[in-house]
Amino acid sequence: MNIRRWVAYALITSATATAFPAQTEDSLPAIQALQRQIEELDQKVKILERKRELDQDATTEKAKSAVTVSAGTSGFSINSADTNFVLKIRGYVQADARFYLNTSPGITSHDTFLLRRVRPILEGTVFEKYDYRLMLDFGSGITSTTADNGFVQDAYVNARLWPQFQIQAGKFKAPVGLERLKPDGTLLFVERSYPTQLAPNRDVGIQVQGDVFDRRLSYAAGVFNGVADGGSGDFETADDEKDFAGRLFTHPFKNSSIAAIKGFGVGVAGTVGNQEGALRTFVSPGQQRFFAYRTGVGTNATTANIVADGEHWRFSPQGYYYWGPFGLFGEYVISSQQLSRSAGGDPTLATIRNKAWQVSASYVLTGEENSFKAIVPKKPFSLSSGGWGAWELTARVGQLKVDDNAFPLYANSTTSAREATSWGVGLNWHLNRNVKLNLNYEQTDFAGDEANPFTAKGEKAILTRIQFGF
Amino acid sequence: MFLKLVSRGLAALALIVCWVSGANAKDITLLNVSYDPTREFYQDFNVAFAKYWKEKSGDSLTIKQSHGGSGKQARSVLEGLEADVVTLALAYDIDALAEKGKLLPKDWQTRLPNNSSPYTSTIVFLVRKGNPKGIHDWPDLIKTGVTVITPNPKTSGGARWNYLAAYGYALRQPGGDDTKAREFIKSLFKNVPILDTGARGATTTFVQRGIGDVLIAWENEAILALKEIGKGEFEIVTPSLTILAEPPVAVVDKVVKRRGTEAVAKAYVEYLYTEAGQEIAAKHYYRPRLESVAQRYTAQFPVTKLITIDEAFGGWQKVHATHFAEGGLFDQLYQPSR
Repeated sequence: MNIRRWVAYALITSATATAFPAQTEDSLPAIQALQRQIEELDQKVKILERKRELDQDATTEKAKSAVTVSAGTSGFSINSADTNFVLKIRGYVQADARFYLNTSPGITSHDTFLLRRVRPILEGTVFEKYDYRLMLDFGSGITSTTADNGFVQDAYVNARLWPQFQIQAGKFKAPVGLERLKPDGTLLFVERSYPTQLAPNRDVGIQVQGDVFDRRLSYAAGVFNGVADGGSGDFETADDEKDFAGRLFTHPFKNSSIAAIKGFGVGVAGTVGNQEGALRTFVSPGQQRFFAYRTGVGTNATTANIVADGEHWRFSPQGYYYWGPFGLFGEYVISSQQLSRSAGGDPTLATIRNKAWQVSASYVLTGEENSFKAIVPKKPFSLSSGGWGAWELTARVGQLKVDDNAFPLYANSTTSAREATSWGVGLNWHLNRNVKLNLNYEQTDFAGDEANPFTAKGEKAILTRIQFGF
Repeated sequence: MFLKLVSRGLAALALIVCWVSGANAKDITLLNVSYDPTREFYQDFNVAFAKYWKEKSGDSLTIKQSHGGSGKQARSVLEGLEADVVTLALAYDIDALAEKGKLLPKDWQTRLPNNSSPYTSTIVFLVRKGNPKGIHDWPDLIKTGVTVITPNPKTSGGARWNYLAAYGYALRQPGGDDTKAREFIKSLFKNVPILDTGARGATTTFVQRGIGDVLIAWENEAILALKEIGKGEFEIVTPSLTILAEPPVAVVDKVVKRRGTEAVAKAYVEYLYTEAGQEIAAKHYYRPRLESVAQRYTAQFPVTKLITIDEAFGGWQKVHATHFAEGGLFDQLYQPSR
């Protein structure tokens, strides 16, 4: 507009001054010619302005459809303009150190540094509603067997048809153990407690899941290959049977105006199926084996090979409570599995019911909101700006009790404990959203035969972790 | 046996979940993806239809609208914009959804009366008050010194109607043939300084930005500008020959089946043909098909000689291949002004 005004002004004044100083009659055609020129110039300027406006519109429109690449505390991501297609590159590393303050004759573990988990993650969305996740693991001691490729932890797709009804298929955590379902990067302690060893880990299958009643009730139900207690699998090697797993978890006061009860959640989970094949050992918080079923060549009772062979079910009540910086977490698991012996006479079959429980509590000293998910420091640690991150105190107690019927035919009481009871305390320092340090002291008492080395000295261990994730 | 058991279990669970979570709730959302100048018309129509649907079914209906150049809108739907209903400027754009996207059957145009065009319009000229450049018919648009505003036929359905009306006029003149018609189009577009992407953008250029001597426009858009946008500032000139524009509508089968909106979407497009729907269309200056409504609006729509796409050009597929495809006649004839 200014340009037009100036052009007009300049033209009129210069024309007036030079072309028709005094006469008016003779100058009329000239004035009309000038008016036309001014109008033409005015149109040209308007056209230029409009073209610029359209160019800007086109640029804005193009930006709307442009792919965005971002990097931040949640990793790196590439998003389509409408965010219907997303690829996130994430990952985390947990570098641990374990120190044993006492040793028993039957214990072979050594003080060690290790890479507990080294997990790159690719996850995202395609066509708006289909989420996918691929998580690998290159941590210390990861192996691959016929029944389970340990390097592939998660590989699944979840069709989010509606929030109330989703279908997930692939390899992922079966919907049973509460602590198992808690992401590794958010664990209170360096190692998970006993109930997790009776719940299934990752399995291949398909499940329906969703949140209903205004997200106050979550459900999941699926069919899986089935795995031994605490185990993962991605290939059925022993039988044709499948496990059915399900979980109901409710936050009944989620929408309440009373803050003190909003963070209460309770639920039940379980599996039922028929499991055959190898069984797993049970380990202490220091990851030392304290129980194993008999394995051998099968010539007599002491060398009998014990395998899962029949009905297998689990049941797990579970719950948590979070209020402000305080958190309480508990679960119980009972696992019933029919076993068979390859030698040693009758009985060749037995049903073993192992039980485990844990209760843990935490308090965020720096006042951050505690939750089932990650704690986000209000002020990330910084020497320059004076932030100290989030500091969290933790404590827990837990127990795993092996069925008495396991001894002596299915397990050797001189090398396996009948029961392990642990307590532990810890201090977690969340420097920021990406870096966390754990320091745990864990003490375990074992119950069993006097000849068993575990029963005498138990385990006292210090476990530490540096976790880096993005 | 096992798979049967699992599938039955999953189906039962899905039903239970749908029931408990209120999947049978009565709140429905519908998206109508339309072309540029239909904003005001569908705002009114949507209110009327939502009320009708509420009375008929008890459902609460929210109808969303999306507007832009017709070709651009069709591309958006092809790229995933979830339109339950499309109400575009050209049948060709909906054909593209059927052929390239397989979003609806190829015979979609036979599913509703009048080739799925519930209302029509035509192409007229909007000139400034007093018609200072003396524009009365198509030849006046190619005169030196006349600036013409029309959108880009590559992106705008309305622009294609404009182009074809001009081409058709040239063809129908004594001694008219394709060569002369091309020359006419070439001369016409020499006078076009800007190509907006849609009809509403071209209206903005002419009416609000004050550019140009004549806007080639949809009749409904021209009347709207005359009566509501710039009262007393413009005049409408109806050329001696113009084109019968038949904007089509269709339900996008693939989307409505997936979203469960099939019934309401079908009712939506059918409601356009009812007395109430036709009345709203006429109030927004679209020519109604229903004779009883058309009778009430004869004064609004002057009679002129109209050609149709089929009889003058052999249908949209042929038109597109000849004129608007990449490297087609328009690309050959149009030289952007510097």
